[in-house]
Amino acid sequence: MGNRTQLMDEMNRLRHDLLLMGTRVEESLRKAAEAMRTQDVELAREVKADDELVNALQLKIEDQAAMLIATQQPVARDLRELVAVFKATDNLERSGDHAVHLAKAVIKLAGEPPFRHIERLERMANSGCEMVRGAVGAFLARDAEEARRIAALDDEIDHEHKAVVDEALGFMRDHPEQIERANRIIKTAGFLERLGDHMTNLCEAVVYMVEGSHVELNE
Amino acid sequence: MTANSTTTRENPQGLDLAPEAPTLRTESLDAVKNDASDAPALDVRGLDIRYADGFHAVKGLAMSFPKRSVTAIIGPSGCGKSTALRAFNRMNELIPGTTTGGEVLFRGVNIYAPGVDPVQVRRWIGMVFQKPNPFPKTIYENIAWGARINGFQGDMDELVESSLVQVALWDEVKDKLKKSAYALSGGQQQRLCIARAIAVRPEIILMDEPTSALDPISTSKIEDLLDELKKRYTIIIVTHNMQQAGRVSDSTAFLLHGELVEYAPTKDLFFNPRDERTESYISGRFG
Repeated sequence: MGNRTQLMDEMNRLRHDLLLMGTRVEESLRKAAEAMRTQDVELAREVKADDELVNALQLKIEDQAAMLIATQQPVARDLRELVAVFKATDNLERSGDHAVHLAKAVIKLAGEPPFRHIERLERMANSGCEMVRGAVGAFLARDAEEARRIAALDDEIDHEHKAVVDEALGFMRDHPEQIERANRIIKTAGFLERLGDHMTNLCEAVVYMVEGSHVELNE
Repeated sequence: MTANSTTTRENPQGLDLAPEAPTLRTESLDAVKNDASDAPALDVRGLDIRYADGFHAVKGLAMSFPKRSVTAIIGPSGCGKSTALRAFNRMNELIPGTTTGGEVLFRGVNIYAPGVDPVQVRRWIGMVFQKPNPFPKTIYENIAWGARINGFQGDMDELVESSLVQVALWDEVKDKLKKSAYALSGGQQQRLCIARAIAVRPEIILMDEPTSALDPISTSKIEDLLDELKKRYTIIIVTHNMQQAGRVSDSTAFLLHGELVEYAPTKDLFFNPRDERTESYISGRFG
Protein backbone atom coordinates (compact mmCIF):
# COMPACT_ATOMS: atom_id res chain seq x y z
CA MET A 1 0.00 0.00 0.00
CA GLY A 2 1.13 3.51 -0.67
CA ASN A 3 -0.55 6.80 0.04
CA ARG A 4 -3.81 5.94 -1.67
CA THR A 5 -2.96 8.41 -4.41
CA GLN A 6 -5.95 7.48 -6.53
CA LEU A 7 -8.37 7.83 -3.64
CA MET A 8 -6.80 11.13 -2.63
CA ASP A 9 -6.98 12.50 -6.18
CA GLU A 10 -10.61 11.54 -6.48
CA MET A 11 -11.45 12.98 -3.06
CA ASN A 12 -9.78 16.26 -4.04
CA ARG A 13 -11.88 16.35 -7.19
CA LEU A 14 -14.95 15.77 -5.06
CA ARG A 15 -14.01 18.61 -2.69
CA HIS A 16 -13.45 20.88 -5.68
CA ASP A 17 -16.92 20.11 -7.03
CA LEU A 18 -18.42 20.64 -3.59
CA LEU A 19 -16.77 24.05 -3.42
CA LEU A 20 -18.16 24.83 -6.87
CA MET A 21 -21.63 23.74 -5.77
CA GLY A 22 -21.44 25.86 -2.62
CA THR A 23 -20.24 28.86 -4.59
CA ARG A 24 -23.12 28.47 -7.05
CA VAL A 25 -25.69 28.28 -4.27
CA GLU A 26 -24.22 31.34 -2.58
CA GLU A 27 -24.24 33.23 -5.89
CA SER A 28 -27.83 32.27 -6.56
CA LEU A 29 -28.89 33.49 -3.15
CA ARG A 30 -26.96 36.72 -3.59
CA LYS A 31 -28.50 37.28 -7.02
CA ALA A 32 -31.99 36.59 -5.69
CA ALA A 33 -31.46 39.08 -2.85
CA GLU A 34 -30.11 41.66 -5.31
CA ALA A 35 -33.07 41.04 -7.62
CA MET A 36 -35.42 41.57 -4.66
CA ARG A 37 -33.74 44.81 -3.67
CA THR A 38 -33.71 46.22 -7.21
CA GLN A 39 -36.88 44.49 -8.38
CA ASP A 40 -34.90 43.09 -11.28
CA VAL A 41 -37.04 40.38 -12.81
CA GLU A 42 -34.40 39.40 -15.36
CA LEU A 43 -31.85 38.75 -12.62
CA ALA A 44 -34.44 36.68 -10.75
CA ARG A 45 -34.95 34.57 -13.88
CA GLU A 46 -31.21 33.92 -14.03
CA VAL A 47 -31.40 32.39 -10.56
CA LYS A 48 -33.94 29.86 -11.78
CA ALA A 49 -31.71 28.91 -14.69
CA ASP A 50 -28.61 28.66 -12.49
CA ASP A 51 -30.32 26.12 -10.25
CA GLU A 52 -30.03 23.48 -12.96
CA LEU A 53 -26.27 23.59 -12.63
CA VAL A 54 -26.53 23.15 -8.86
CA ASN A 55 -28.76 20.12 -9.34
CA ALA A 56 -26.39 18.65 -11.92
CA LEU A 57 -23.44 19.15 -9.56
CA GLN A 58 -25.28 17.33 -6.80
CA LEU A 59 -25.79 14.28 -9.01
CA LYS A 60 -22.22 14.37 -10.25
CA ILE A 61 -20.77 14.57 -6.73
CA GLU A 62 -23.03 11.87 -5.35
CA ASP A 63 -22.28 9.49 -8.24
CA GLN A 64 -18.58 10.07 -7.71
CA ALA A 65 -18.83 9.49 -3.96
CA ALA A 66 -20.81 6.28 -4.47
CA MET A 67 -18.22 5.09 -6.99
CA LEU A 68 -15.42 5.72 -4.49
CA ILE A 69 -17.24 3.76 -1.79
CA ALA A 70 -17.75 0.89 -4.23
CA THR A 71 -14.24 0.78 -5.63
CA GLN A 72 -11.91 2.14 -2.96
CA GLN A 73 -13.43 0.70 0.22
CA PRO A 74 -12.78 3.81 2.28
CA VAL A 75 -12.86 3.49 6.07
CA ALA A 76 -12.64 5.76 9.10
CA ARG A 77 -11.99 9.41 8.20
CA ASP A 78 -12.30 8.85 4.45
CA LEU A 79 -15.61 7.03 4.86
CA ARG A 80 -16.99 9.67 7.21
CA GLU A 81 -16.07 12.37 4.71
CA LEU A 82 -17.90 10.57 1.92
CA VAL A 83 -20.97 10.09 4.10
CA ALA A 84 -20.77 13.78 4.99
CA VAL A 85 -20.51 14.65 1.28
CA PHE A 86 -23.95 13.13 0.70
CA LYS A 87 -25.38 15.19 3.55
CA ALA A 88 -23.64 18.32 2.27
CA THR A 89 -24.90 18.02 -1.31
CA ASP A 90 -28.41 17.25 -0.15
CA ASN A 91 -28.55 20.34 2.02
CA LEU A 92 -26.87 22.57 -0.56
CA GLU A 93 -29.33 21.45 -3.20
CA ARG A 94 -32.26 22.31 -0.95
CA SER A 95 -30.66 25.67 -0.19
CA GLY A 96 -30.38 26.31 -3.92
CA ASP A 97 -34.08 25.58 -4.21
CA HIS A 98 -34.81 28.16 -1.53
CA ALA A 99 -32.81 30.76 -3.45
CA VAL A 100 -35.07 29.95 -6.40
CA HIS A 101 -38.13 30.38 -4.20
CA LEU A 102 -36.90 33.84 -3.29
CA ALA A 103 -36.34 34.62 -6.98
CA LYS A 104 -39.84 33.42 -7.83
CA ALA A 105 -41.29 35.69 -5.16
CA VAL A 106 -39.43 38.60 -6.76
CA ILE A 107 -41.03 37.76 -10.11
CA LYS A 108 -44.48 37.42 -8.56
CA LEU A 109 -44.21 40.67 -6.59
CA ALA A 110 -42.77 42.63 -9.52
CA GLY A 111 -44.49 45.91 -10.27
CA GLU A 112 -45.99 46.20 -6.85
CA PRO A 113 -44.90 48.97 -4.48
CA PRO A 114 -41.77 48.12 -2.50
CA PHE A 115 -42.55 46.21 0.61
CA ARG A 116 -41.10 47.55 3.83
CA HIS A 117 -40.06 44.13 5.06
CA ILE A 118 -37.66 43.73 2.19
CA GLU A 119 -34.75 44.88 4.32
CA ARG A 120 -35.28 42.09 6.80
CA LEU A 121 -35.53 39.51 3.99
CA GLU A 122 -32.34 40.91 2.58
CA ARG A 123 -30.59 40.55 5.93
CA MET A 124 -31.82 36.97 6.10
CA ALA A 125 -30.45 36.30 2.62
CA ASN A 126 -27.11 37.89 3.52
CA SER A 127 -26.82 35.74 6.63
CA GLY A 128 -27.77 32.77 4.46
CA CYS A 129 -24.93 33.60 2.05
CA GLU A 130 -22.52 33.78 4.96
CA MET A 131 -23.71 30.42 6.25
CA VAL A 132 -23.35 28.74 2.84
CA ARG A 133 -19.85 30.07 2.38
CA GLY A 134 -18.84 29.35 5.96
CA ALA A 135 -20.30 25.85 6.10
CA VAL A 136 -18.65 24.77 2.86
CA GLY A 137 -15.42 26.39 4.03
CA ALA A 138 -15.57 24.50 7.33
CA PHE A 139 -16.19 21.28 5.40
CA LEU A 140 -13.16 21.78 3.18
CA ALA A 141 -10.98 22.83 6.11
CA ARG A 142 -12.30 19.94 8.24
CA ASP A 143 -12.88 22.52 10.94
CA ALA A 144 -15.51 21.44 13.48
CA GLU A 145 -15.14 24.59 15.56
CA GLU A 146 -15.73 26.80 12.57
CA ALA A 147 -18.78 24.66 11.73
CA ARG A 148 -20.17 25.30 15.22
CA ARG A 149 -19.56 29.04 14.83
CA ILE A 150 -21.31 29.13 11.46
CA ALA A 151 -24.28 27.13 12.74
CA ALA A 152 -24.79 29.77 15.43
CA LEU A 153 -25.51 32.33 12.67
CA ASP A 154 -28.81 30.57 12.19
CA ASP A 155 -30.02 32.43 15.31
CA GLU A 156 -29.82 35.71 13.39
CA ILE A 157 -31.88 34.29 10.56
CA ASP A 158 -34.44 32.90 12.98
CA HIS A 159 -34.64 36.27 14.73
CA GLU A 160 -35.29 38.11 11.46
CA HIS A 161 -37.77 35.45 10.42
CA LYS A 162 -39.82 35.93 13.54
CA ALA A 163 -39.74 39.71 13.10
CA VAL A 164 -40.85 39.46 9.44
CA VAL A 165 -43.72 37.18 10.34
CA ASP A 166 -44.86 39.41 13.21
CA GLU A 167 -44.70 42.51 11.04
CA ALA A 168 -46.42 40.87 8.11
CA LEU A 169 -49.23 39.65 10.35
CA GLY A 170 -49.65 43.18 11.67
CA PHE A 171 -49.66 44.46 8.10
CA MET A 172 -52.38 41.96 7.25
CA ARG A 173 -54.52 43.19 10.11
CA ASP A 174 -54.10 46.82 9.02
CA HIS A 175 -54.46 46.06 5.32
CA PRO A 176 -56.73 43.08 4.89
CA GLU A 177 -56.91 43.80 1.17
CA GLN A 178 -53.18 42.95 0.93
CA ILE A 179 -53.33 39.59 2.69
CA GLU A 180 -52.15 37.68 -0.38
CA ARG A 181 -49.10 39.87 -0.78
CA ALA A 182 -48.20 39.74 2.91
CA ASN A 183 -48.67 36.00 2.86
CA ARG A 184 -46.12 35.71 0.07
CA ILE A 185 -43.64 37.62 2.20
CA ILE A 186 -44.24 35.23 5.10
CA LYS A 187 -43.72 32.22 2.84
CA THR A 188 -40.56 33.70 1.36
CA ALA A 189 -39.18 34.39 4.83
CA GLY A 190 -40.01 30.79 5.68
CA PHE A 191 -37.87 29.57 2.78
CA LEU A 192 -34.92 31.63 3.97
CA GLU A 193 -35.43 30.33 7.49
CA ARG A 194 -35.30 26.76 6.12
CA LEU A 195 -32.13 27.63 4.23
CA GLY A 196 -30.53 28.49 7.58
CA ASP A 197 -31.65 25.11 8.91
CA HIS A 198 -30.10 23.32 5.92
CA MET A 199 -26.81 25.06 6.47
CA THR A 200 -26.98 24.09 10.14
CA ASN A 201 -27.40 20.49 8.96
CA LEU A 202 -24.33 20.91 6.79
CA CYS A 203 -22.39 22.18 9.81
CA GLU A 204 -23.54 19.12 11.76
CA ALA A 205 -22.24 16.95 8.91
CA VAL A 206 -18.85 18.67 9.27
CA VAL A 207 -18.73 17.86 12.99
CA TYR A 208 -19.72 14.28 12.20
CA MET A 209 -16.99 14.04 9.58
CA VAL A 210 -14.31 15.44 11.88
CA GLU A 211 -15.31 13.96 15.23
CA GLY A 212 -17.35 10.91 14.25
CA SER A 213 -20.29 11.88 16.43
CA HIS A 214 -23.79 13.10 15.73
CA VAL A 215 -24.55 16.50 17.18
CA GLU A 216 -27.52 18.83 17.17
CA LEU A 217 -26.27 22.34 16.59
CA ASN A 218 -28.35 25.36 17.34
CA GLU A 219 -31.36 23.48 18.77
CA MET B 1 12.44 -25.33 21.51
CA THR B 2 12.43 -23.25 24.59
CA ALA B 3 9.33 -21.83 26.06
CA ASN B 4 10.46 -19.59 28.80
CA SER B 5 7.54 -18.71 31.00
CA THR B 6 8.18 -15.93 33.45
CA THR B 7 5.48 -17.06 35.80
CA THR B 8 4.36 -20.36 37.17
CA ARG B 9 0.75 -20.62 38.10
CA GLU B 10 -1.19 -23.26 39.89
CA ASN B 11 -3.85 -25.16 38.05
CA PRO B 12 -6.85 -24.29 40.22
CA GLN B 13 -9.43 -26.12 38.19
CA GLY B 14 -7.46 -29.30 37.70
CA LEU B 15 -7.79 -28.72 33.97
CA ASP B 16 -6.44 -31.70 32.06
CA LEU B 17 -3.62 -29.85 30.40
CA ALA B 18 -1.05 -32.20 31.94
CA PRO B 19 0.63 -35.00 29.97
CA GLU B 20 -0.47 -37.68 32.35
CA ALA B 21 -4.11 -37.06 31.50
CA PRO B 22 -4.28 -37.30 27.72
CA THR B 23 -7.86 -38.47 27.37
CA LEU B 24 -10.44 -36.34 25.69
CA ARG B 25 -12.51 -34.50 28.17
CA THR B 26 -16.14 -35.50 27.93
CA GLU B 27 -17.47 -32.16 29.01
CA SER B 28 -20.32 -31.57 26.63
CA LEU B 29 -20.35 -28.75 24.17
CA ASP B 30 -23.58 -27.57 25.73
CA ALA B 31 -21.84 -27.06 29.04
CA VAL B 32 -19.36 -24.79 27.32
CA LYS B 33 -22.10 -23.13 25.35
CA ASN B 34 -24.10 -22.48 28.49
CA ASP B 35 -21.15 -21.18 30.42
CA ALA B 36 -22.58 -17.84 31.40
CA SER B 37 -19.50 -16.49 33.14
CA ASP B 38 -18.21 -13.38 31.50
CA ALA B 39 -14.60 -14.30 32.15
CA PRO B 40 -12.61 -14.00 28.95
CA ALA B 41 -11.93 -17.10 26.90
CA LEU B 42 -8.26 -16.20 26.85
CA ASP B 43 -6.42 -13.63 28.89
CA VAL B 44 -3.01 -12.57 27.63
CA ARG B 45 -0.72 -10.72 30.02
CA GLY B 46 2.64 -9.22 29.19
CA LEU B 47 3.28 -11.61 26.31
CA ASP B 48 6.82 -11.19 25.06
CA ILE B 49 8.24 -13.24 22.22
CA ARG B 50 11.73 -13.24 20.78
CA TYR B 51 13.08 -15.31 17.92
CA ALA B 52 16.44 -17.06 17.95
CA ASP B 53 18.08 -14.17 16.08
CA GLY B 54 17.01 -11.79 18.85
CA PHE B 55 14.13 -10.24 16.92
CA HIS B 56 11.62 -8.97 19.44
CA ALA B 57 8.42 -9.99 17.64
CA VAL B 58 5.82 -9.37 20.34
CA LYS B 59 6.31 -6.76 23.06
CA GLY B 60 4.31 -6.94 26.25
CA LEU B 61 1.03 -7.84 24.60
CA ALA B 62 -1.87 -7.62 27.05
CA MET B 63 -5.39 -8.29 25.90
CA SER B 64 -8.29 -10.55 26.65
CA PHE B 65 -10.59 -12.31 24.23
CA PRO B 66 -14.29 -12.46 25.05
CA LYS B 67 -16.02 -15.81 24.81
CA ARG B 68 -18.02 -16.81 21.78
CA SER B 69 -17.05 -13.89 19.65
CA VAL B 70 -14.75 -13.27 16.73
CA THR B 71 -11.69 -11.15 17.37
CA ALA B 72 -9.59 -10.06 14.42
CA ILE B 73 -5.93 -9.19 14.71
CA ILE B 74 -4.68 -6.92 11.96
CA GLY B 75 -1.42 -5.20 11.20
CA PRO B 76 1.23 -4.92 8.52
CA SER B 77 3.57 -7.79 7.65
CA GLY B 78 6.06 -8.40 10.42
CA CYS B 79 3.95 -6.70 13.11
CA GLY B 80 3.88 -9.88 15.19
CA LYS B 81 0.26 -10.82 14.69
CA SER B 82 0.87 -14.40 13.51
CA THR B 83 3.58 -14.86 16.13
CA ALA B 84 1.17 -13.74 18.84
CA LEU B 85 -1.54 -16.03 17.47
CA ARG B 86 0.81 -19.01 17.53
CA ALA B 87 1.67 -18.22 21.15
CA PHE B 88 -1.97 -18.68 22.09
CA ASN B 89 -1.62 -22.44 21.71
CA ARG B 90 2.14 -22.80 22.13
CA MET B 91 2.87 -23.33 18.45
CA ASN B 92 5.95 -21.12 18.58
CA GLU B 93 7.71 -23.84 20.51
CA LEU B 94 8.05 -25.65 17.21
CA ILE B 95 10.35 -22.85 16.07
CA PRO B 96 13.82 -23.47 17.57
CA GLY B 97 15.21 -20.71 19.77
CA THR B 98 11.96 -18.87 20.31
CA THR B 99 11.49 -17.58 23.83
CA THR B 100 8.14 -16.65 25.26
CA GLY B 101 7.55 -14.58 28.38
CA GLY B 102 4.39 -13.47 30.12
CA GLU B 103 1.21 -15.40 30.62
CA VAL B 104 -1.55 -16.78 28.45
CA LEU B 105 -4.37 -17.69 30.78
CA PHE B 106 -6.93 -20.22 29.64
CA ARG B 107 -9.57 -20.84 32.29
CA GLY B 108 -7.26 -19.28 34.80
CA VAL B 109 -4.38 -21.59 33.92
CA ASN B 110 -1.21 -20.21 32.39
CA ILE B 111 -0.69 -22.49 29.40
CA TYR B 112 3.06 -21.91 29.76
CA ALA B 113 3.18 -23.07 33.37
CA PRO B 114 5.39 -26.07 34.12
CA GLY B 115 3.56 -29.35 33.83
CA VAL B 116 1.14 -28.11 31.18
CA ASP B 117 1.23 -30.32 28.10
CA PRO B 118 1.26 -28.31 24.87
CA VAL B 119 -0.54 -31.12 23.06
CA GLN B 120 -3.43 -30.80 25.48
CA VAL B 121 -3.35 -27.02 25.11
CA ARG B 122 -3.78 -27.47 21.36
CA ARG B 123 -6.70 -29.80 22.00
CA TRP B 124 -8.55 -26.96 23.70
CA ILE B 125 -7.20 -24.22 21.52
CA GLY B 126 -7.15 -25.34 17.89
CA MET B 127 -5.51 -23.76 14.88
CA VAL B 128 -6.55 -23.38 11.25
CA PHE B 129 -3.76 -22.34 8.91
CA GLN B 130 -3.47 -20.13 5.88
CA LYS B 131 -3.25 -22.95 3.39
CA PRO B 132 -5.65 -25.84 3.76
CA ASN B 133 -3.61 -28.76 5.08
CA PRO B 134 -5.80 -31.84 5.14
CA PHE B 135 -4.10 -35.12 6.01
CA PRO B 136 -3.40 -37.44 3.07
CA LYS B 137 -6.31 -39.55 4.16
CA THR B 138 -9.99 -39.89 3.43
CA ILE B 139 -12.40 -37.11 4.26
CA TYR B 140 -13.80 -39.28 7.03
CA GLU B 141 -10.39 -40.03 8.52
CA ASN B 142 -9.45 -36.36 8.50
CA ILE B 143 -12.16 -35.80 11.07
CA ALA B 144 -11.94 -39.11 12.91
CA TRP B 145 -8.17 -39.30 13.34
CA GLY B 146 -7.74 -36.36 15.69
CA ALA B 147 -10.70 -37.40 17.80
CA ARG B 148 -9.45 -40.98 17.97
CA ILE B 149 -5.96 -40.10 19.17
CA ASN B 150 -7.60 -37.87 21.75
CA GLY B 151 -9.38 -40.90 23.11
CA PHE B 152 -12.83 -40.26 21.69
CA GLN B 153 -14.95 -43.35 22.29
CA GLY B 154 -18.39 -42.20 21.19
CA ASP B 155 -20.16 -42.68 17.86
CA MET B 156 -17.52 -41.73 15.34
CA ASP B 157 -19.95 -41.57 12.40
CA GLU B 158 -22.03 -39.11 14.33
CA LEU B 159 -19.01 -37.02 15.26
CA VAL B 160 -17.87 -36.91 11.61
CA GLU B 161 -21.32 -35.93 10.43
CA SER B 162 -21.92 -33.27 13.08
CA SER B 163 -18.49 -31.75 12.50
CA LEU B 164 -19.07 -31.58 8.76
CA VAL B 165 -22.57 -30.19 9.27
CA GLN B 166 -21.20 -27.44 11.46
CA VAL B 167 -18.90 -26.28 8.68
CA ALA B 168 -21.66 -26.60 6.06
CA LEU B 169 -19.70 -29.24 4.18
CA TRP B 170 -21.80 -32.31 4.92
CA ASP B 171 -24.16 -32.01 1.94
CA GLU B 172 -21.23 -31.62 -0.41
CA VAL B 173 -19.24 -34.62 0.81
CA LYS B 174 -21.65 -37.06 2.45
CA ASP B 175 -21.52 -39.40 -0.57
CA LYS B 176 -17.74 -39.41 -0.82
CA LEU B 177 -16.53 -39.68 2.75
CA LYS B 178 -14.13 -42.47 1.79
CA LYS B 179 -12.52 -40.42 -0.96
CA SER B 180 -9.25 -38.62 -0.45
CA ALA B 181 -9.49 -35.17 1.10
CA TYR B 182 -7.19 -34.02 -1.68
CA ALA B 183 -10.05 -34.48 -4.15
CA LEU B 184 -11.84 -31.52 -2.58
CA SER B 185 -11.51 -27.94 -3.79
CA GLY B 186 -9.35 -25.51 -1.81
CA GLY B 187 -12.35 -23.95 -0.13
CA GLN B 188 -13.79 -27.35 0.76
CA GLN B 189 -10.41 -28.45 2.11
CA GLN B 190 -10.29 -25.41 4.36
CA ARG B 191 -13.77 -26.12 5.69
CA LEU B 192 -12.66 -29.71 6.26
CA CYS B 193 -9.71 -28.42 8.27
CA ILE B 194 -12.08 -26.33 10.36
CA ALA B 195 -14.29 -29.41 10.84
CA ARG B 196 -11.20 -31.34 11.91
CA ALA B 197 -10.37 -28.61 14.41
CA ILE B 198 -13.85 -28.60 15.95
CA ALA B 199 -14.14 -32.40 16.02
CA VAL B 200 -11.99 -32.46 19.16
CA ARG B 201 -14.36 -29.93 20.71
CA PRO B 202 -12.02 -27.06 21.40
CA GLU B 203 -13.09 -23.89 23.10
CA ILE B 204 -11.01 -21.56 21.03
CA ILE B 205 -10.17 -21.69 17.34
CA LEU B 206 -7.20 -19.70 16.10
CA MET B 207 -7.21 -18.87 12.40
CA ASP B 208 -4.16 -17.58 10.59
CA GLU B 209 -5.22 -15.95 7.33
CA PRO B 210 -7.71 -18.75 6.72
CA THR B 211 -9.03 -17.42 3.41
CA SER B 212 -5.99 -15.85 1.83
CA ALA B 213 -5.52 -18.84 -0.46
CA LEU B 214 -9.18 -19.05 -1.41
CA ASP B 215 -11.36 -17.58 -4.15
CA PRO B 216 -14.08 -15.04 -3.25
CA ILE B 217 -16.92 -17.57 -3.12
CA SER B 218 -15.02 -19.95 -0.85
CA THR B 219 -13.96 -16.96 1.24
CA SER B 220 -17.56 -15.91 1.60
CA LYS B 221 -18.53 -19.42 2.75
CA ILE B 222 -15.83 -19.39 5.43
CA GLU B 223 -16.89 -15.93 6.56
CA ASP B 224 -20.52 -17.06 6.83
CA LEU B 225 -19.29 -20.05 8.76
CA LEU B 226 -17.51 -17.85 11.30
CA ASP B 227 -20.79 -16.24 12.15
CA GLU B 228 -22.23 -19.67 12.97
CA LEU B 229 -19.16 -21.00 14.74
CA LYS B 230 -18.93 -18.07 17.12
CA LYS B 231 -22.17 -19.23 18.74
CA ARG B 232 -20.17 -22.14 20.17
CA TYR B 233 -16.53 -21.22 19.96
CA THR B 234 -14.26 -18.29 20.56
CA ILE B 235 -12.53 -17.36 17.35
CA ILE B 236 -9.34 -15.36 16.97
CA ILE B 237 -8.47 -14.61 13.37
CA VAL B 238 -5.37 -13.01 11.94
CA THR B 239 -6.08 -11.41 8.61
CA HIS B 240 -4.41 -9.14 6.10
CA ASN B 241 -7.77 -8.38 4.61
CA MET B 242 -9.19 -5.44 6.48
CA GLN B 243 -12.54 -5.66 4.76
CA GLN B 244 -12.72 -9.21 6.04
CA ALA B 245 -11.90 -8.10 9.58
CA GLY B 246 -14.67 -5.54 9.25
CA ARG B 247 -17.15 -8.11 8.00
CA VAL B 248 -16.54 -11.00 10.36
CA SER B 249 -15.23 -9.75 13.67
CA ASP B 250 -16.81 -8.30 16.78
CA SER B 251 -13.58 -6.78 18.04
CA THR B 252 -10.40 -5.86 16.23
CA ALA B 253 -6.88 -5.45 17.53
CA PHE B 254 -4.28 -3.49 15.59
CA LEU B 255 -0.66 -4.49 16.13
CA LEU B 256 2.34 -2.52 14.98
CA HIS B 257 6.00 -3.39 15.56
CA GLY B 258 4.98 -6.07 18.06
CA GLU B 259 2.86 -3.71 20.15
CA LEU B 260 -0.87 -3.45 20.57
CA VAL B 261 -1.82 -0.03 19.27
CA GLU B 262 -5.59 -0.21 19.52
CA TYR B 263 -8.14 -2.82 20.51
CA ALA B 264 -11.79 -1.88 20.15
CA PRO B 265 -15.17 -3.04 18.91
CA THR B 266 -14.76 -3.50 15.17
CA LYS B 267 -17.38 -0.94 14.25
CA ASP B 268 -15.54 1.71 16.28
CA LEU B 269 -12.09 0.80 15.06
CA PHE B 270 -13.07 0.97 11.40
CA PHE B 271 -15.28 4.01 11.70
CA ASN B 272 -13.57 6.26 14.17
CA PRO B 273 -10.24 4.88 15.38
CA ARG B 274 -8.66 6.65 18.33
CA ASP B 275 -5.06 6.28 17.27
CA GLU B 276 -3.64 8.08 14.26
CA ARG B 277 -1.52 5.02 13.40
CA THR B 278 -4.64 2.87 13.24
CA GLU B 279 -6.31 5.46 11.04
CA SER B 280 -3.35 5.47 8.66
CA TYR B 281 -3.15 1.70 8.49
CA ILE B 282 -6.81 0.86 8.01
CA SER B 283 -7.24 3.59 5.43
CA GLY B 284 -4.35 2.11 3.48
CA ARG B 285 -1.80 4.85 3.95
CA PHE B 286 0.94 2.54 5.09
CA GLY B 287 1.54 -1.14 5.50
